[in-house]
Parts: sequence; C-alpha cells; structure tokens
Amino acid sequence: MLFSSPTADSSNAPLPDGAPLPPIEVHDLTVAYGRKPVLWDIDLEFNEGELVGVVGPNGAGKSTLIKAMLDLVPSASGWVRIYGEPYAARRKQVGYVPQRESVDWDFPVNARDVVLMGMYGRLGWFRRPSRKDHHTADECLEKVEMSAYGDRQISQLSGGQQQRVFLARALAQDARIYVMDEPFAGVDAATEASIVRVLRDLRAEGKTVVAVHHDLQTVEEYFDSLVLLNLRVVANGPTSEVFTRDNLLATYGGRLTILDRAAEAVRRGGGPRIDRP
Amino acid sequence: MTAILGFLTFDYNTRVVLLGTLSLGAAAGVIGTVALLRRRALLGDALAHATLPGVWIAFLLFGKNFSFLMLGAMATGLLGVATVSALSKYTRIKEDASIGIVLSVFFGAGLMLSGWVHHNSTNASQSGIDSYLLGKTAGMLASDARFICVVGLIVVAAVLLLYKELKLLCFDPEFAAVQGWRVGLLDFALMILLTATTVIGLPAVGVVLMVALLILPGAAARFWSDRLSVLLVLAGVFGLVIAGTGTMVSAAAARLPAGPVIVLCGTVLFAASMLFAPRRGVLARWSRTRSHRRRRVRQRIVQRLFEAFEKDASIALASLSELSQRIRVDRRSFNRAVNRLIRDHWIVVGSGGVGFTDHGWDRALRTVRTIRLWEQYLLTHANIDRDLVDPDVDVIESLLSTAVIHELELGLIESGRLPRDHRNTAIQAPPTASREVPL
Repeated sequence: MLFSSPTADSSNAPLPDGAPLPPIEVHDLTVAYGRKPVLWDIDLEFNEGELVGVVGPNGAGKSTLIKAMLDLVPSASGWVRIYGEPYAARRKQVGYVPQRESVDWDFPVNARDVVLMGMYGRLGWFRRPSRKDHHTADECLEKVEMSAYGDRQISQLSGGQQQRVFLARALAQDARIYVMDEPFAGVDAATEASIVRVLRDLRAEGKTVVAVHHDLQTVEEYFDSLVLLNLRVVANGPTSEVFTRDNLLATYGGRLTILDRAAEAVRRGGGPRIDRP
Repeated sequence: MTAILGFLTFDYNTRVVLLGTLSLGAAAGVIGTVALLRRRALLGDALAHATLPGVWIAFLLFGKNFSFLMLGAMATGLLGVATVSALSKYTRIKEDASIGIVLSVFFGAGLMLSGWVHHNSTNASQSGIDSYLLGKTAGMLASDARFICVVGLIVVAAVLLLYKELKLLCFDPEFAAVQGWRVGLLDFALMILLTATTVIGLPAVGVVLMVALLILPGAAARFWSDRLSVLLVLAGVFGLVIAGTGTMVSAAAARLPAGPVIVLCGTVLFAASMLFAPRRGVLARWSRTRSHRRRRVRQRIVQRLFEAFEKDASIALASLSELSQRIRVDRRSFNRAVNRLIRDHWIVVGSGGVGFTDHGWDRALRTVRTIRLWEQYLLTHANIDRDLVDPDVDVIESLLSTAVIHELELGLIESGRLPRDHRNTAIQAPPTASREVPL
C-alpha cells in the first residue's frame, strides 16, 4: 500500500443513510505532551448542521482538541469518531483550516495554488489538478470574496486575505465537517464578515463547523453550540444555555479583569470588545 | 574562452564527463530548491559530510569500484540523516545541534578511515578517492560520468513526478497529514533524492562543499521568481551553469580543485541575483524605498501648502522657507521635491513664495482629500485591514466602497476638514517657470 491514494484506504466507507450518527464524537479523550496532560477526559458530541464554538483561555487545549480530532496529535487514551468511524476512515468528510501562523507565507505560490491544495487529497498520488479543478478553486475564492486575488503571490496578501485563502482551501476539500483553528484571529472587519457569511452558508447546506474562537463578544452571535474548555470540558451545549457568567467564571478561573468584562458583555450583549483573553 | 572552446573540442570521454557534471548541476539545483523550501538545507551539509566514511568503507571492502563507492557513500549518508532525526526526536537535543554532531562525527570518522587506509595500503593514494574531499573532474571515467548522468536524470524525473506532493509537503505538512498524505514517506523520498544527488556530486564537487551546489542555485533563483514551477526550472538551469562553468575552469587550470571553483561560480551568480534581480533584488528594493520616500516628501509639501491656503485664503503665495520649516526633512530632499513639483507644473515660484498652478490645485485637492479620508478611516474603523491603508494611492475609491467613502466624507464635513477649493488664489504658470528655488 506504499503508493495508495492518500485518502483511498477506507475513507470511502459509505455514510449510513439517515443514521443518527453524530458528525463528531469524542469519548474519554486524554492528550499529554510528555508527562503534562493538556486535555483530560474529554467527552463531546456535536450535532449535525451546527456552528460549534470552542472557547477557553490560552493554554486551555483548544488547538490540541482540534488536532486530536484530526489525528495530528496522539491521544493517551480515549477515542474520536467521525460519523461513527475513526478519522482515518473519514478524511474526505473533514475540511481543515489551520492557524494562519502555521505556515510560511513567503512560499512561492499564489492564492489559487493554495486553494488547489484542498483538492490534492481527492486527486491522490501523481495526478495533477485539471482545468475543472482550477475552475473549482476560483469558485472557492469567489465564496470568500477573493476572486480578484487568485494570481497574487501569497505574501502580497493582507493577514485577513490570507485567512480567507485558507478558508477557500478548506471549501475546496468539499467536506461535510469543517474544523477551524481560530479563523477569526487578528482579521479585519471585512474578512470577519466574509467568514461569518461562509459559515452561515455552510450551516444552511447542513454542514457542521467546529471553530476555536477567542472573542467572547461575538460568541453568542456566531455559534449555535459551545464547548467551554479549560483542560477539561467545563460546559457543552446550546449557546443560550451554556454561555453564562458562572460557566465563564469556571472556564477562565481567576482572570478577574477579563471575567468582569466578559460578564458585562454577556449582560449587555455588547459592551467593550474583548480581544484575545 | 579558449579554454572553453578547447574543452568542447576535447575527446569523447571529456564530453561525457561534462555531460555528467551538467546533469549533476541541474539535479542539485532542482532537489536543493525543494530541500531549501522544506528547510532541510543544513541537513544537506551533514548528509554530504556523512558520506565520507561510506566511501572508504566501500573502498576497503570492494576496492575501487565506482558503483560500490557511491552505494557506500549513500549508506552512511542516510545513516547520518537518520541519526540527526533520531537525536532531535528522541533526545532533548535540538536539530541544529544534532546536525553539528552528526556532521563532525561522521566527517571525522571518514578522515580517520582515510588516514588508516593510506597507512596500510599502497594503492590508496592512486585510487583518486582523496579528491572526493574537494572534488576533481579530471580523473572521472566515462562510465562514472554516465552513472552520474543517469542518477541526475532520475532525480529530476522524480521531482517532476512528485511535484504536487512535494509542493504540499513544503508549504503545509500538517495539512498534508490531515488529507492523509504520508508525510514521513514523502520526507523520506526527499531525503533519498537528496542523498543520491549528494553522492553523485562527490567526485566532481567533493564532500566539503557539496551543500553549496544544493543551496546556491535555489537561493539565487528565489530572487527571480515567485512561482514554484519557474523557480525549479531556473534553479536547474543555474545549477547546470554553475557546475558546467566550474568544471571547465577547474579542468583548464589543472591544479584547481573543482569544488571551490564551482562554489565561487555559484557565489557570483547568487550575488548578482541578490543585487540585480528586478523587484526582489536588493537594488530594486532600495530604489523602490527611495522613490517612495521622495514621493512622501512631495506629498507632504503639497499638503502643507494646501493647509497654508486653507488657513488664510487671502494670500496668493506661501513662504517657501516657512514651508520648509514645517516639513522636517533635510534641505536637499526638500529642494529636490520642490524642483520636481515645479517641473511637473504643480507649483510655481513667484515673488515672495510659492503657489499652486491650476493643475496643482486639482492634484492637491485630491491628495489632501485622500489623506484626510484615510485619517478619518483610521479613526472610525478600528478593526480594519491595516494593509489596505495606503495614503500613496491616488484613488481611495479603488480600495474602499462608495458607501464607506460617503460616510467618511460626512465625518470630514462635520469636523470641517473636507478640503475645499480656494481656486481664487491660483496663479497661472508662467511659460518659463524658474527651476532654481531660492530658500
């Protein structure tokens, strides 16, 4: 199987029709770097067609949770199931938007090249993207309002535009579940609006989105469900039930300034903006 | 030149040798660029040094058989690379230190073996292996050259075949893993190709300087292109040119080892690219910065002049020395900017000061409006895409929507800062505007 298609193995396992399988299910997941656990006994289940926000302080293990779902970090115990199967069997159902800082943006490719990479998994070994794939890539760029920038070298794009290129690449994966690591981190207002529009379109198509999020002020507006995380799951459920002062206190611990501001934001549904708590 | 011509008219064997070094250069340029983008350049150096013990072990076991020497080099080279990754992965030693350890230990072992073989064997000094240290093309057999040529072609063909996979691996290995690509396998393939290229480079370039032939072509090509496909082709051509020239020069001047000559050729090409490449080159960047700075000075002169008239609409001319005091640039830059504005018929010098021409008024209105709109934008749109803000752009409309601009204009009107036309103070440009600016 040395030269099997990267996604061939068993990732074509058919999805059971109308089965009540959750898109993502996490059971007893523990992840440790060395001897230091970064996630403890995580139990989660997400509903199909929802926008799910993963919220918590720095070092809470948000990115690790995302990476554990995608088999990027080994788990010490527990398991993750995508539509009832291990991730390796469901790769094609999952699109991924990594943190923008995870790559070198001076790399000699243009925006369209990056979007095309979303289709590499489908193409398999040795096959090059066709003209049709290029067309699809342009469509994906259009969805994030970047069609004018397809030929632009990626270092010539602003931070927000780079983020949108990453989102377009995930759209090119044509998945049912999208996993995003801080898609809103450090982006401008136009990009934020564009991303929100894409997320809502995805939800309208019945897709599931799980996104790490930092801005407590916009949490209620953007997400249907929340995971409040700080090494363990503090709360998980519909945003209206979970996004409470007590839960935030439990999640953010002793960080009082932030808590007060967050509580104020919750109370008023607005108020001072809280960036990167 | 005569040396080159002489070389080209050489016998069949020599031409085959040249073919060998040319394909070596092309292969090294191409695979070296991939290694560079995967941030494995330094590993290439450790790899090259780690091949030396393999050469001598192969010599001890099988005598002077070219293929076996190459296989031996490949074996210890790969062992060196494996040691580096094992050290970085399983111990607390970081990669740079692991590379240092492997490079010196393996190279030391190679030198020791070499000394031992020389002491105990009579034919070692005639074997020509000593030249693997610094490279020498003269002693290369036609069969060796053919071997080098074939391996070089295989390396280039493999990169073409794996173009898409290597591109993804270099740009975003994590995303590759999420898609199910075997990142470890791809990295291993890259290492094999890199090792093969290094090994065939030993006779011509040598252990010590092989890394230069891997890195220099790609590093030079990076100044010329932003596209990976173009970059690879260019690096291949550069490698070919470097290796070819180096080989011929070293062959013509019999006592020069090929390695250093090739490195020198590469350095010349790299330095020329770094300095003279359009857009990314140092000189191009420098001249861009300079013209940008000069433009800023002119822009500020226009802005301050406009403000002088805005403050006092009755005056027809503004004092130039007052203007120069309000713009804190050195006198030379100021004079240069004023002269340029006069030459472009934006401003004219009258008795006691300067004023806008009709054309100048049009331009000044637009410039000041753009600057103030951007100022307003920064004030009112806190969470903006800062990369968009560019006061140099004449037409703000090309970047912001009409609705936003309208909103910004309203804000300017409220604070009374929307630039108005005080054309009554405009003076006609005299046909012979003075070029000398009295200050």
